[in-house]
Amino acid sequence: MFSFIVRRIGSSIPTMLILILISFALMRLAPGSPFSSDRGLPPEVLANLELKYGLNLPWFEQLFVYLKGIIFDFDFGPSFKYTDKSVNDILAQGFPVTLTYGIWSFVAAVAVGLPLGIVAAVRHNTKLDYAAVGFSIGAQVLPNFVMAPILVIIFTLWLNWLPGGGWNGGQWQYVVMPILALSTSYMASIARITRSSMLEVLHANFIRTAKAKGVPMRNIILRHALKPALLPVISYLGPAFVYMITGSVIIDIYFSTGGMGQFFVDAALNRDYSLLMGVTIVFGVMTIVFNTLVDITYAWLDPKIRL
Amino acid sequence: MTEIIKPIFSVDDLRISFATHDGEVEAVKGVSFSINPGECVGIVGESGSGKSQTFMAAMGLLAKNGRAKGDIIFQGHHLLSLSTAELNRVRGKNMSMIFQDPLTSLTPHLTILEQMREVSSLHMDLSREETDRLCAQWLDRVRIAESKRRLNQYPHELSGGMRQRVMIAMSMLCQPSLLIADEPTTALDVTVQAEILDLMDELKRESGTAIALITHDMGVMARMCDRLHVMRRGEYVEEGLTEDIFYNPQHDYTKMLIDSMPRIDSPDRQHNKNQMPIDESVSGADFLKVDDVKVHFDVTVGGGLWPKKLPLKAVDGVSFELRKGETLGIVGESGCGKSTLARSVLQLIPPSAGSVCWLGKPLNGLKKEELKDKRKDLQIVFQDPLASLDPRMTIADSIMEPLQTFSSLSRSEMKEEVLKMMDRVGLDRNMQNRYPHELSGGQNQRVGIARAMIVKPKLVICDEAVSALDVSVQAQIIQLLMDLQQEFQLSILFISHDLAVVREVSHRIMVLYLGRVIELAKSEDLYANPVHPYTQQLISAVPVPDPKIERERKAIKIPGELPSPMNPDAQLKFLPSKLKTEKKGYLPKLLEHSPGHFVAEHDALDQLLAQD
Repeated sequence: MFSFIVRRIGSSIPTMLILILISFALMRLAPGSPFSSDRGLPPEVLANLELKYGLNLPWFEQLFVYLKGIIFDFDFGPSFKYTDKSVNDILAQGFPVTLTYGIWSFVAAVAVGLPLGIVAAVRHNTKLDYAAVGFSIGAQVLPNFVMAPILVIIFTLWLNWLPGGGWNGGQWQYVVMPILALSTSYMASIARITRSSMLEVLHANFIRTAKAKGVPMRNIILRHALKPALLPVISYLGPAFVYMITGSVIIDIYFSTGGMGQFFVDAALNRDYSLLMGVTIVFGVMTIVFNTLVDITYAWLDPKIRL
Repeated sequence: MTEIIKPIFSVDDLRISFATHDGEVEAVKGVSFSINPGECVGIVGESGSGKSQTFMAAMGLLAKNGRAKGDIIFQGHHLLSLSTAELNRVRGKNMSMIFQDPLTSLTPHLTILEQMREVSSLHMDLSREETDRLCAQWLDRVRIAESKRRLNQYPHELSGGMRQRVMIAMSMLCQPSLLIADEPTTALDVTVQAEILDLMDELKRESGTAIALITHDMGVMARMCDRLHVMRRGEYVEEGLTEDIFYNPQHDYTKMLIDSMPRIDSPDRQHNKNQMPIDESVSGADFLKVDDVKVHFDVTVGGGLWPKKLPLKAVDGVSFELRKGETLGIVGESGCGKSTLARSVLQLIPPSAGSVCWLGKPLNGLKKEELKDKRKDLQIVFQDPLASLDPRMTIADSIMEPLQTFSSLSRSEMKEEVLKMMDRVGLDRNMQNRYPHELSGGQNQRVGIARAMIVKPKLVICDEAVSALDVSVQAQIIQLLMDLQQEFQLSILFISHDLAVVREVSHRIMVLYLGRVIELAKSEDLYANPVHPYTQQLISAVPVPDPKIERERKAIKIPGELPSPMNPDAQLKFLPSKLKTEKKGYLPKLLEHSPGHFVAEHDALDQLLAQD
C-alpha cells in the first residue's frame, strides 16, 4: 500500500509540470497582449512595461523564472492588470471564499446524496425509492443559475430570512444560499450513482453468501456492500470536489461572493495572463491532487488495486 | 427396521412462483421430499428445472419477485414462516450453503479470516483467540496449506479451488447438520473437482453432516449421493436410491439424462456418433501445420516502487499438424493456454514466435486484406452462445454476416442460403427474425454453428463450444457437428476442458499443460494407455456416471497445487528430478513413445506420488 501511494504521487508530479508548460505555452501563443488596447501605447512605454514584467526575455528564460517562482516561493508573479497586487494577493483574497462555500457544499452533497442513494437501493421499487429518484431528477435538471434566483425569491424576497448577496466575512446567513445553490445538483448525482452501484452490488454473489451466513441486513450493507458500492461514487467525488472548491462563476456573480470564479472570468476578459495562469495552475494542481487521493482511496476500498 | 429415523429437513408440497412481466411463472410445482441426518441427497436436473430454487427458498434467498407456498421444516422450524431475524439464527449455523461460483461468492475486500470470524461472532460464543484457532483448524481440515498465511489474504489471492475450500470451511464452522451445495464443482477443473468432492464426502462421514447436492452432472451424483431426485420442469420425475436410478431408471427423462452423459470409460454409447474415418497415411503438413507457436503476454508483477514486466508464456512452443477431415481435441485445465492457442492459429492473437501454415502457406505476417481472404476457410464457434452473438441483430442477420463479407450473392440469394443453413443445423425457419435473448442456449449455439458454417469453411475451431450447454443439448450439438463434418469434409480443432466430451468427437487428442504439449495421441490410445502422469491424473479425476465403477475408482492425486505459469520451475512439476541436475528453465522434451503417441519427458508416477 505504501509503495502504491509513493508511486502514485510520484507519477502525478510530471503531470503537474506538463500542465504548467501547456498553460504557459497557450498564454504566449494567444494573440494580443495585456497592454494592447484600442488607443495603442507608444513603443517606448510598451518596451518599459515589457521590461518590468520580464516579457522581453526569451521564452525559455521567462518559463524558467516563472517555474522557479512557483516551485521555490509559491509565487505566481504580479498581476498584469491590477498593478498594485500580485497573483498571490488575489488568490489569497478569493480562494478562502470559494473554499468555504465549496467545502460546505461538498459536505452537504455527500451527507444527503450518499444516504439517499443507499436507502433508495435497499428499498428498491418502493415509494421511498421513487421519491429519491424523483428528487434526483428534479435537482439534476435545475441548473444553479435557475436555482439561485429561486432561492433568492423564496428566502430573501418572500420570507426575508437571508440576505440576497454579499459575503460579509463568511457569516452563516451569507453562506447558506450559495451552498444550497451549488450543492443540489451534486447531491442528485451522488444519490443517483450511489443508488445504481449499490443496486448492482446488492445483487452480487457475495451478498448472497453473506445472507446465507445469517448476517443481518444492516451489517450486510455496512460491511459487505458499502465499500464496493462506493467505488464509482468516489471516482465522481474527486473531480466534483475540485469543481466545488474552485468555485462557480454563477454563484460568485449572482451572490456577489467575490470568489475565485469571478476572478477567473475577469482575468480572461482582461487578458491578465499571470492571473489566468495562476488560477489555471491552482485549479489544475488541485484536480491532480484530488485524483491522486481518489486513486489512493480506491486502493483502500479494493484490495485488488493495492499492488 | 425398528428404529424410525427422523428426517432433519423435509419439504411438503412446495410451490415456488415468480412474478414476471409475462405473468406468474411457476418454477417449482408441488415438490415433497426429506433428508435424513448424515445422508447425501442429490437433486439432478437440467438448467431451469427449478432444482436450486427449492433450497434458495429454504435459505430465504429467493429473488424478490419469488413466492414460496407449502412447508419446509428444518429441525422443527417452519422455515417459510420465519422472519428474517429468526431465519438468521438458523442459516449459517445449523444449515449452511455453498454456491456454484467460488470466484465471486466471497466478499472481495474482506480477508478470509474476517469473513470466517463473522460467522462465529454471529452464531457462536467464542473469544477472539478461540475463533482464530478454530478458523485455522478448519482451513487445515479443508487442506489449505499454510493456513495462517492464507487467513490474512484476500479472496483474489486464492485460486478458484481454494476459494471453494474456504467457502466449505466457512459453512462448516458451526458444524451445521445440513450443508446445501449448489453445483459446488461445476466451475472448477476436474482435478480440483475430485478433491473438493472427496473433501465433502469425508466431512459427511466424519461430522455426520447431511448434504443436499444440487448438480447437473450424473457423474458427480454417482460418486457422492445415497439417494437421488431427478427434477424436470419444477417436478420430481423420479426418486430413489442412487443404484436403483442408475441401473434401473424408470422415467424416460432419467434414461435420457444417463444416456446423453458422455462417458470417459467407454466411447460406445447406445447411439454412437459415427465418427468420420480418416486416412491416416496422409500427412497434415500441407493442410494445417502449426510449428513451435509461442504466445507471450507482458504482465506486471510484484509491488514495490519499480514493478517489473515479465512475459507470461500462455502458449510456449506448441507444434501439431491437422489433416483434412480430422478432429484434434485439445484438452487441459483452465489457464493451460488452449483458447489462446486457438486464437493464435486464427491470428486473432498474433503469435509471438513460430509459424502457422495453412494449405502450405504461412498465415502469420500476412496483411489484413490477405488474411481476410483466408478467414473464409477458418471459422470459430465460441463458448458462450448468447454473449458471442450481437444482441441487436436478428439471428438470420447474424448468420448472414459472413456471407456479406465473403460472397457476391444478391441479398435474396443470401437469405435463401441462410434459411437452408438454418434447416441444416435444426433451427426452425420461422425463428429467423428472433433475437438471441429469445432463444435457448442450445438454439443460440446452433446459430453460432450456422454462422461459422455458412461460408463452407475447411476448418472450424470449437472453443468450449458445448461446455455451457445441458447434457441433452450437448449431445445434440455434438451430433450436429459430426454430421456437418461428414457432409463438408470439415477439419475441427475441438477445445474443451471436458475429457469425456473430447473423447467422443476427436480422432487425436493433445493434452496441454501451462502452454506446452504434454501428450499427443490417437483418441482411443490416449484413454486406454495414458502415459504422462498428468494425463493419468486428469482421466482419473473425471467422474463416471455409474455408481459402482465410480466408487471403486481412485483419483490419482499428485501432491502440490497447480503452479503459477510465472514460476520458472512450473514446467518441471512432473520432472522434479531435473530440478537438481539441469540448469534453470529446462523444458521437458516431447518424445515419441510409440508410433503416433508423443509424451513429454516426465518422472515415473510412483516417484511423483512419493514426493512431498
